[in-house]
Amino acid sequence: MRRKYTLALLACLGLSTLPALADDSTEALARTCNNCHGVNGVSAGGAMPSLGGQSEAYLKHIMLEWKSGERAAASMNRLIKGYSDEQIAGLAKYFAAKPWTPNTQKASADVMARGKDVTDKCETCHGATGGQPDDETIPRLNGQSAMFMHLELDKYRDEAFLMTHKKMIKSARKMEEGDVGIAAKYYGNQSK
Amino acid sequence: MSQINRRDFIKAIAAASSASVLTIPSAHAGHTKGRVVVVGGGYGGATAAKYLRMMDGGIDVTLIEANTSYTSCPLSNEVVSGERDIKTLQVGYDGLKKHGVNVVHDWVTGVDTTKKVVSTKGGKTFAYDALILSPGVEFAYGAVEGYTEELANTSLPHAWKAGPQTLMLKKQLEAMPDGGKFIIAVPPGPFRCPPGPYERAAQVAYYCKTHGKAKSKILILDSNDSFSKKPLFEQAWKALYDGMIEWVPGASDGKVIKVDAKTKTCFTNFGEHQGDVVNIIPPHHAGKVAKDLGLATFKDKWCEVKPESMESKGQKDIYVIGDSCVGGELATNNGFPKSAHMAMTQAKVAVGAIIAKMNGLPLPVPYYVNTCYSVVAPDWGFSVVHVYRVENNAWVYVKEASGISPVTMPDKSPVPKLYRKLEAEYADGWLRNVLADAFA
Ligand SMILES: Cc1cc2nc3c(=O)[nH]c(=O)nc-3n(C[C@H](O)[C@H](O)[C@H](O)COP(=O)(O)OP(=O)(O)OC[C@H]3O[C@@H](n4cnc5c(N)ncnc54)[C@H](O)[C@@H]3O)c2cc1C
Ligand code: HEC
Ligand code: HEC
Repeated sequence: MRRKYTLALLACLGLSTLPALADDSTEALARTCNNCHGVNGVSAGGAMPSLGGQSEAYLKHIMLEWKSGERAAASMNRLIKGYSDEQIAGLAKYFAAKPWTPNTQKASADVMARGKDVTDKCETCHGATGGQPDDETIPRLNGQSAMFMHLELDKYRDEAFLMTHKKMIKSARKMEEGDVGIAAKYYGNQSK
Repeated sequence: MSQINRRDFIKAIAAASSASVLTIPSAHAGHTKGRVVVVGGGYGGATAAKYLRMMDGGIDVTLIEANTSYTSCPLSNEVVSGERDIKTLQVGYDGLKKHGVNVVHDWVTGVDTTKKVVSTKGGKTFAYDALILSPGVEFAYGAVEGYTEELANTSLPHAWKAGPQTLMLKKQLEAMPDGGKFIIAVPPGPFRCPPGPYERAAQVAYYCKTHGKAKSKILILDSNDSFSKKPLFEQAWKALYDGMIEWVPGASDGKVIKVDAKTKTCFTNFGEHQGDVVNIIPPHHAGKVAKDLGLATFKDKWCEVKPESMESKGQKDIYVIGDSCVGGELATNNGFPKSAHMAMTQAKVAVGAIIAKMNGLPLPVPYYVNTCYSVVAPDWGFSVVHVYRVENNAWVYVKEASGISPVTMPDKSPVPKLYRKLEAEYADGWLRNVLADAFA
């Protein structure tokens, strides 16, 4: 309410040219993430994931797991050790507050038909399109980078790659090799 | 403004910025808070121009760049090997124009720091309140006897600025016979993209191996005694291209001091090496415009800047970012690498400082991060990360967050192939995202 009031007041005063500098430094820190994850955490593509609009709990949890070494990653596990738990919490909150912006990637009708079957077992947790996570520990998949999701599934499937979520590991390892890419493309194609 | 206090003002700013990055309309003509001129539309300059406009529509931003299209050096070694189309590395300036950046294609010839005016070859002048210089590097061709800019453009491309020379080098590689020798001469550090020459060697080897030229040799004649991500490169060279790549350090007479273009011979202090393809990377220093201003105070080559803002140590209101600047923990040899990623985070620090100054706000906390991926084969990549904190107006290299991809697992077992595949893919994702973050 108070925030709205301030904004309205500023508008009345004709102060329409506000700089986007937040008082705390989260915004400035988040701008370094934009290099790889895009402005507002919306990735420009390739294997880089979008972050904006994932749940705060999920984002925070996985960053803290990297920091403690419980969870493996290729790049993030190093970088994240440069930040305090408070900074990580701030980043999780910052990106969670952004809208989830699906990037619907092309997939053939065949892949989509097959993908629907393949992801049948995933629906209880991720929802039919990957866009209705059952709780806040589950990430959104609809319109996430398909290449990223394919590689994440490879991580869950590889015994030598340290991942933590037992049920997700089990789900990924039960998949047929050839279905991994199909599931990733299926979710990558979803808009909702 | 007087009717609301600073805290509310900042809260409003935070609210406005989290709603959408484009919610802040630009000021009416003649009512700007300040004029910023950015020289150089590479990774550093483009990022600075875009973020200035995105974060504060009240600032008037002019970007002066010589060329109408930019070619990314990052991943251009994949163009040499034929693994990537150079078009995927090229971008224009329409994205910046959409942010309201006044893009001018011209060559900056000088800066009057008293009058605060930039002048160009085209005869134009631009007044500034703050000036950002991101001119990249200027090559010192004369440092290798016999090497010239003309040779670089006609027969001995350095391809250390991506573009036509990259394609020329690719053609020369394609024409090289099986059993041929490809020489890469590396200048004394610090140079642009520390892992670049060694990535190039791997890409050339990959081309040879997959095009029936596996008897070819790649000879790296180095002015230095070590190099970035050395254990990772050596591991990959051995696993993928055993016996094809030879590295000669400076201490073993690796430094090339002279070249004969006709016979394609490189001369070191005591030896000579003839190649089928000769790729001399000439030594380089801060871009001409920065050097002419006398800002290159570090070893007469690179521009020193303030850690909290990227403002030049020598000139007020001039910010030097990207390859032209020097910073980081120089004493412990953890200086900033000259990378696109670094140039972009430096740009964001400079932008934060300029906006704060123009709005009478305190300087924001500066964050410096670098990540540099190297791709040695389509399914084999690795990276180095650098994180810096600023403490007591000095850069502190954050060891626990920095370093290279694992060479072995902690128990000394080999690193699973998946790690290398992941980073090869992430390199491509990184490229798409940095191009978008800087230019779109
Ligand atoms: C082979 C190779 C591979 C690389 N790989 C990577 C990588 O994987 N990751 C990474 O992070 N970095 C990499 N780099 C390094 C990266 O290219 C540079 O660090 C980066 O481009 C620096 O940005 P900059 O803005 O300082 O300069 P540049 O990108 O060089 O931009 C400078 C611009 O300024 C313009 N200019 C200069 N002077 C003037 C003037 N007087 N008037 C008008 N315009 C002017 C130029 O035309 C140019 O467009 C690589 C470099 C090479 C050569
Ligand atoms: C150099 C590029 C790069 C930068 C910079 C970067 N990231 Fe990442 N990020 C990655 C990569 C690559 C992955 C995939 C995980 C891995 O490293 O294996 C990733 C994954 C993530 C994920 C997991 C997404 C998911 O859905 O599983 C989060 C959260 C994240 N990054 C947060 C951040 C934050 C916050 C920052 C800024 C402090 C940041 N990243 C900066 C490259 C980067
Ligand atoms: C029991 C609930 C559950 C089931 C069933 C499930 N998932 Fe997940 N999934 C999760 C959770 C929770 C995570 C995050 C786990 C973590 O923190 O590592 C996740 C993560 C993922 C990710 C990584 C996304 C990211 O942003 O990093 C992908 C891709 C994925 N799941 C796909 C699938 C597919 C495909 C199936 C079906 C074969 C499936 N999941 C089945 C709960 C589930």
